[in-house]
Amino acid sequence: MDHTKGKLGFREFLAIIIITFGTKLTDNTPTGLFNKVGSAAWITIILMCLLAIIPIYLLTKVITAYQDQNLVDIIYHLLGKYVGFFVIFVLWLTETYSIVLSSSMYTDIIETMYFVRTPTLYIYIILIGVAAYGAKKGLEFIGSTAWITLVGLNLALFVVLVLTFYLGRLSYLFPILGNGIGEIIKEGASNASIFGEFLYLGFIVTSLRSNNVYRKGIWTGFLYVSFIFILSLIAYIILFDYVSIVHLNYPFHESIRYIQLGFLTNVESLFLPFWLVASFIRFSFYLYISALLFGALFKINQFKYLVPSIAILIIFLGLIPEAPVFSLINFREKLVYISTPIFYFLPLLLWLMAKRKGVFKK
Amino acid sequence: MEKMRVKQFFNKLIKEEHPPFEKAAKEDDLLKKKQIDSSLAKNMEIFKEIYYVPNNCDVNIRDIEIGGTKKMAAVLSISSISNIKIIEELIIRPLLSNDNESKVIEKLLSQQVRKAQVIEDILKEINNGNTALFVDGEPNAYIINTSNFQGRSVEKAENEVVVKGPKESFNEQAITNISLIRKKIRDENLIVESTTISKRAKNELYLLYIKDIANEELLTTIRNKINSLDVDSIQNLSVLEQYIEDNIYSLFPTILYTERPDRAGEFLEDGFIVLIMDNSPDALILPATFWSFFHNAEDHYLRFLFGNFIRILRLLALFITLFISAIYIAITNYHVEMIPPDLLLAISSTREIVPFPPLVEILMLEIAFELIREGGLRVPKPIGPTIGIVGALILGQAAVQANLVSPLVVIIVALGGLSSFAIGDTNLNYTIRLMRFPFLISAGVFGLYGLTALFTIGLFYMTSIKSFGVPYLAPMTPNDSTAKDTIFRRLLKNELYRPGYLKPKDIEKKAGE
Amino acid sequence: MKNQLCLRQFLFLISMLLMLSGCWDQTNIDKRAYVVAIGIDKGEDNKINISYLITNPELSKQEGASSEPAYEIITFPTNDLISAKNTANSVIAKEITYNMLGVIIVSEELAKEPEFIRYMYDVTKDREIKRNKTMIITKEDVKTFLTENKPKLETRVHKYFEFIIENAKNAGLIPDFKLHSYFSITESDAGLFLSPYATTEQVPGGKYTVGEDELLAGELNIEGDSNTQFLGSAVFKEGKMIGTLNGEETRLTILLNETLEMGEIYTTYSDPFNQQYRISTRMMKRDKNEVKMDFTGYIPVIDVTVPVYTDILSTHSMETFDNGKIEQLKLHIEDEINKKLNNLIKRTQEEFKGEPFGWALIARKKFWTRHDFEKFDWMNTYPNMKVNVKVMVTIGTFGEQSKLPDLSEVRD
Repeated sequence: MDHTKGKLGFREFLAIIIITFGTKLTDNTPTGLFNKVGSAAWITIILMCLLAIIPIYLLTKVITAYQDQNLVDIIYHLLGKYVGFFVIFVLWLTETYSIVLSSSMYTDIIETMYFVRTPTLYIYIILIGVAAYGAKKGLEFIGSTAWITLVGLNLALFVVLVLTFYLGRLSYLFPILGNGIGEIIKEGASNASIFGEFLYLGFIVTSLRSNNVYRKGIWTGFLYVSFIFILSLIAYIILFDYVSIVHLNYPFHESIRYIQLGFLTNVESLFLPFWLVASFIRFSFYLYISALLFGALFKINQFKYLVPSIAILIIFLGLIPEAPVFSLINFREKLVYISTPIFYFLPLLLWLMAKRKGVFKK
Repeated sequence: MEKMRVKQFFNKLIKEEHPPFEKAAKEDDLLKKKQIDSSLAKNMEIFKEIYYVPNNCDVNIRDIEIGGTKKMAAVLSISSISNIKIIEELIIRPLLSNDNESKVIEKLLSQQVRKAQVIEDILKEINNGNTALFVDGEPNAYIINTSNFQGRSVEKAENEVVVKGPKESFNEQAITNISLIRKKIRDENLIVESTTISKRAKNELYLLYIKDIANEELLTTIRNKINSLDVDSIQNLSVLEQYIEDNIYSLFPTILYTERPDRAGEFLEDGFIVLIMDNSPDALILPATFWSFFHNAEDHYLRFLFGNFIRILRLLALFITLFISAIYIAITNYHVEMIPPDLLLAISSTREIVPFPPLVEILMLEIAFELIREGGLRVPKPIGPTIGIVGALILGQAAVQANLVSPLVVIIVALGGLSSFAIGDTNLNYTIRLMRFPFLISAGVFGLYGLTALFTIGLFYMTSIKSFGVPYLAPMTPNDSTAKDTIFRRLLKNELYRPGYLKPKDIEKKAGE
Repeated sequence: MKNQLCLRQFLFLISMLLMLSGCWDQTNIDKRAYVVAIGIDKGEDNKINISYLITNPELSKQEGASSEPAYEIITFPTNDLISAKNTANSVIAKEITYNMLGVIIVSEELAKEPEFIRYMYDVTKDREIKRNKTMIITKEDVKTFLTENKPKLETRVHKYFEFIIENAKNAGLIPDFKLHSYFSITESDAGLFLSPYATTEQVPGGKYTVGEDELLAGELNIEGDSNTQFLGSAVFKEGKMIGTLNGEETRLTILLNETLEMGEIYTTYSDPFNQQYRISTRMMKRDKNEVKMDFTGYIPVIDVTVPVYTDILSTHSMETFDNGKIEQLKLHIEDEINKKLNNLIKRTQEEFKGEPFGWALIARKKFWTRHDFEKFDWMNTYPNMKVNVKVMVTIGTFGEQSKLPDLSEVRD
């Protein structure tokens, strides 16, 4: 009866994009930027967005040139069996590595900010357990859940932003160039992998109703995500100033601890559920992608059954880092430096190969 | 101008892509504009096709031979909405017992008789409960008033109460129930199919749908499901519901159960399928989405703003019932900093003397509330009010005085309990009431973290439920830009489409253009 | 099918395990002791003496008035703010929590220690202490302050702190800086942080002043049951207290500082028409200050224009004003404020060698990068800057009855 045949529409796709990328500004992704470029972090983001347009454009062009084929098929088709396998393997590895890192970080956030005495293992189990349940159910339902919660989550985010802007001081934005143009360009170029996950969206293109949905979703999502990224980075800066913000591990959570909502002076627990829902959805999408890639590597069609195993693997790997606050930032930086070249060059490579093979002419 | 363009751009942006929907076929309409033939056989063929006879079980055709003139004739009526006694005594008997060859038909009948030639007009009369008499060789039909709709001898709805709008409800007679629906939809395309569903008791099930709206595939699925039942006896619809639903263990209901003919009619016209049985003062509507449980008949009877106001209240009630006690537990045990200082001290001071942990305290009271509710339901009418007094007085006041529970918990449980009554649907009501307990426990174990985790799992689960192939949260997600009646209702003039998730044969609600 | 059953049982077991072993962070609401104020005093060696003001929830009970006191104060030596929570449990029966914390009170003695900032950073470590709390500096030991402070009408002591800070702040008598600003100002190392100054020790007989607000806490001669005064501010440079500003200076600082919100301030000026009397006025700020900076010359110059809106409330000289007189009055008030401001600025340049006016924030707009700004070294450049202040007074209403009778006629 379901005329959509389990395929994602524009709204669900957009919701997935916004939630997976939007949650990034609530973890320590901004911290890395603030460390390097100070008050100009938001300019860096603009630069990053501009730089990210090229690979995303190339990738979209390649993907939409094919009908009913996802990035896995396209990579195999364009790069051949062996190189293709290698590329997908690298992608799977970075994806899984980034899930381990970020889930470990989110656990750390929950532990240090909200549940001080609860053992990490249990927090971790619940986080990944819920995500795995969602991933096991399938992409369609991750999308639906994302769409249902999207309005609420965005509303909560904007309440936080408005309150932050209300309390903040715009003069903290100055000196406008922060640590200098050199740093901005350097960081802007090397951190572009914040948008790196746009690559992975190519893998679900066959689960969308049409290529048009993909194209529309990618660009709308990209614009919106850039917009809230810039807004939030400005909000953090004007609340904390560039000197103090360097010392904060998780600016979003410090912000919601600082702001007040009328007679409620401590509102962080009010915003916690919204953030948690977004995180659960984000990780279930990541897990799904990871399982999908693994399935593609080893030709496992029923890849949903891989989710529990991958989830357990992630929990054990994620528990390894000691003193996660410091080690994770290091690991994350390394990941960023590895994945940024992939993000720049893979789309370019695919596009060139597609051009050579004359895919666009059809 | 610019504004229009921006608006158009956004509309284009958010427009969902989906396979094209069907619109109403035109040939039918042309046929209905025609005059009837003088040949009885031909006429009967046309009408049988229109009325989908013999599948349509309450359409009656009696072939008779008129005494005296020896002409063949046929009497066509819909039995559920016409008075069979009148037809028998005042139409058929005079015709059969006639022996005068020269008498015209009008003279034979003691009732007032009108003539009609156009098929459409005849259909209208029949759908209004009147009887049509076709005589071989005559290019017109005689219409005799026989209409007999079931009216207010039928009782008021007791569970789905409305202030504004019709108040009659189904009763245990299937034929009355069908009549009540036919009274609302005087459409020859409304088909009543009947099947026997049990082997021994031979229970009859009536399947109602509108032929040129309801989706064939859906109909086939439901027919197959019903025909594959292998049971000795199915007494009524409440039992049947459990035989045919998709997820037996699920907390969420997937078939709507209503006692209001107006609701059943409304759903029929949207392309849903309605089941009616003898011995059941209700109808089953399938497939059902979450929204059909959430909505209430009154939403559309009240004016736009008022209707949406009660929708908001209902949503609020739903969230309060589900979460208030869980949030209380989570906040007082894990997130104390959220509570404003004075309230914090107040709770702290009243809780100090309570001997139980908060989770036990609130569980005790919740269970007590459920007990009062269940007890109050089963209690014989005359004692009813007493139970209320006992429940409120003894349990609330005395429990606080005996330091068994703190006063705030009484407020919270009472608020949650009262809010649950705002959810009218029996099934959804149970769902919500039951779901409170897992939420309560998860909040007790992990605070807001556990609560949110369970909530997210719930969402993932809810989106994955399907009722006869229809996603549970359609049309909110997966989205199709057709029916938009979800949390809020639209203006009636903007409700242009039937729900696309049913793939109806005619997507537009407007006739013609 | 069998596999699924196994999985279900496994999941069930896991969830049971979670449930049985859960509740780590759980503490019942009634099993906590709520600290409303933390006091920090200098202790021996590197230790500090910490005082807890713990509120008693019994008072909030409806039925049966309790005979227990409204709050309890304990003081003990400890190493830091966080471990003190545990130490306190040797005396306090319930688990100590900072969830309801309203203020952190520090004695002047400790605040003047160079080591003070180390203790303050404990605040950023504990999740229960929010950065939006107020820090109060007391003249005496906090221990004495807390025991001497006996609000008669606000038995709920958390309300007392909440209200007195709110209202003293609105009157401009104490600055509206939170702990958050302590860290951000200290870390950016470009300005001075101000903190409310309070005491319960009255200078015997009080101090006589011409105006009503040229006083520091303790100098106001108030007789009656309440003896706690919140007046003036403590000045912090690089996280260490270096001096105080009296009530008037605090008000002027608020006038100059754009980041602080100024309420309606009732204050008096000498009457230009009769030196014997004073005019009382209500001052408001309706427009923003205009701050122009010029760093091109050898000596950096700051030009500040301060628009002030004044209502004249009472004139004991019984003058009735006409246009000429209003102009005269305006010039007089402008002149008087100007003088005071110049004195204040001179004091900050010479005595504190830093500014509490938030000008560093405005100066930042003049620089492109953080490096340039840091090279400019605002804190060290400020004492040598030339600051020109100009006050623009707008006179609004003259009270409900604007005309006054001629006294000589009345007395006639």
